[in-house]
Amino acid sequence: MKKLFALVLAVSGSAASAQTPTTNPMPDGSRDMYAGLGVVSAPRYEGADRRKTSALPVLQVQWSNGIFVSGMSAGMHLSNSPTVEYGPLLAIHPRRTESGFGGRVGGVEGSTLAPSTVRTYDSRNPLAGMEEIKARPEAGAFFNYYLAPEWRLTSSVLAGAGNDRNGVRGEFGIQRLALQLGAHHTVSVTAAVSFVNRAYQQNYFGVTPAQAMASGNRVYHPDGGVKDVRIGARWNWALSPSWMLTSSLQATRLAGDAKDSPLVQRPTNLTVSTAFAYRF
Amino acid sequence: MMRLAHATACVCLLGTATMAVSQAQAQASASEWASYRDAYRAVVVFEKYGGAKNLLQNHLQLVPREKGALGEGLQLVLSGKTVQTSLALDALGRGVLPLVKAAYDENAVLAPNHRIGPFSLRSRVTIAPQADNIYDTAELRAACEQALGFARYVDAGARARQCVGVRLVFPRKGVESSVKLRRLDGEQALPMTQGAAFGGDADADFPVVNYRFGADKAQVVTYSAPLAIVPLFE
Repeated sequence: MKKLFALVLAVSGSAASAQTPTTNPMPDGSRDMYAGLGVVSAPRYEGADRRKTSALPVLQVQWSNGIFVSGMSAGMHLSNSPTVEYGPLLAIHPRRTESGFGGRVGGVEGSTLAPSTVRTYDSRNPLAGMEEIKARPEAGAFFNYYLAPEWRLTSSVLAGAGNDRNGVRGEFGIQRLALQLGAHHTVSVTAAVSFVNRAYQQNYFGVTPAQAMASGNRVYHPDGGVKDVRIGARWNWALSPSWMLTSSLQATRLAGDAKDSPLVQRPTNLTVSTAFAYRF
Repeated sequence: MMRLAHATACVCLLGTATMAVSQAQAQASASEWASYRDAYRAVVVFEKYGGAKNLLQNHLQLVPREKGALGEGLQLVLSGKTVQTSLALDALGRGVLPLVKAAYDENAVLAPNHRIGPFSLRSRVTIAPQADNIYDTAELRAACEQALGFARYVDAGARARQCVGVRLVFPRKGVESSVKLRRLDGEQALPMTQGAAFGGDADADFPVVNYRFGADKAQVVTYSAPLAIVPLFE
């Protein structure tokens, strides 16, 4: 069941990897919460050729004091202005095993939990023989600015990813929030570019000589810089005051040194998800 | 184990979907509806605004998609587990939303008291009317500046805008709705046209007078109370 909680998703307009829901003023002592379940189809890891479909728990909670939990991230809105949002941000960077992010769901490949000295390489899986990157808590901050009530510039920075906890990732994006398509149908559109430091890049896209020996990949030492660009859309259909169907489509293209990594089979990938969520 | 986890997930998902659809059909088929939480979120920003706003008023407006859906007797019914009340709406579909913590916590629903088709809810800030129907243009300008201050507070895009005047909106029938501009050298009737009270309204057949601020000191005199005095920005 651990796998079920490896991927979570926000139901807000934000489709960012470090999700920050919009400010939500409410009575003191109240909260606004969505929880639900759906499915997601995503590449097994960033740059993977193969995909996996898995169950997708949905969770977003906001409290009147500004604290929020949104998917794999949590934070606190500190601004009182409707045009600016900022505050601390925490997130969990999922682990990456030989079978991809969050471990295997289908159970069709060899064990990644027990180290083995004798390996049979899967020629279709560049992660075979690569060291597992453990799930890591990340800490950072976010800053968003509203150009207009429906247009939001977003930014965030998070540090702590990778086995040595020295990976840093940042993101700049723009969002068109709550485009009304019809009664109870809204669409939010996002475009973003993400940046990482060299340590992050080495952890997730690099290959050390030892890893090259174990995996058969060529040695690769990427530099920091732009990691990817992405566009995404989220469609929320409020079926009733309590129930929502939230669906998302996101296209990501790896860029810079990440794109040239020997671990990357497909630089452009799609992630599709849909889930029912109940508003408590 | 993995297949068992997958099967469990599928069963959970199917259960969730079935429950969602059946409950949604039961709730949504009754009538069109809106979330009290979303309405609260739209309205409370003005209540929490710390800038000058003594010349302004804030309403929640029901905006039907169909023309002519706003009629006499239309109310917005607020229904929660323990909260049940009705909001009287004026001819423009505006009413005062009570800010009730219990209604928020119960995820209460807002619905019209009869079918009007799809609608949306908006927060509308207007200039408070005077009991004597006489408005110094300096007061109107000051009120418009207050409204612009609030608009700039919630919308960075409004920072480049300026106050240019006000729109006085009157009921369609039943009252005399002439407006005059009173100066030292006499009175001048302001032209009445038909139009919408707010941008985006479906009903665009209200008697309206658009008054643009001038350099002269004057009074705007209405011979009946306007439904709304809308600040105009450009």
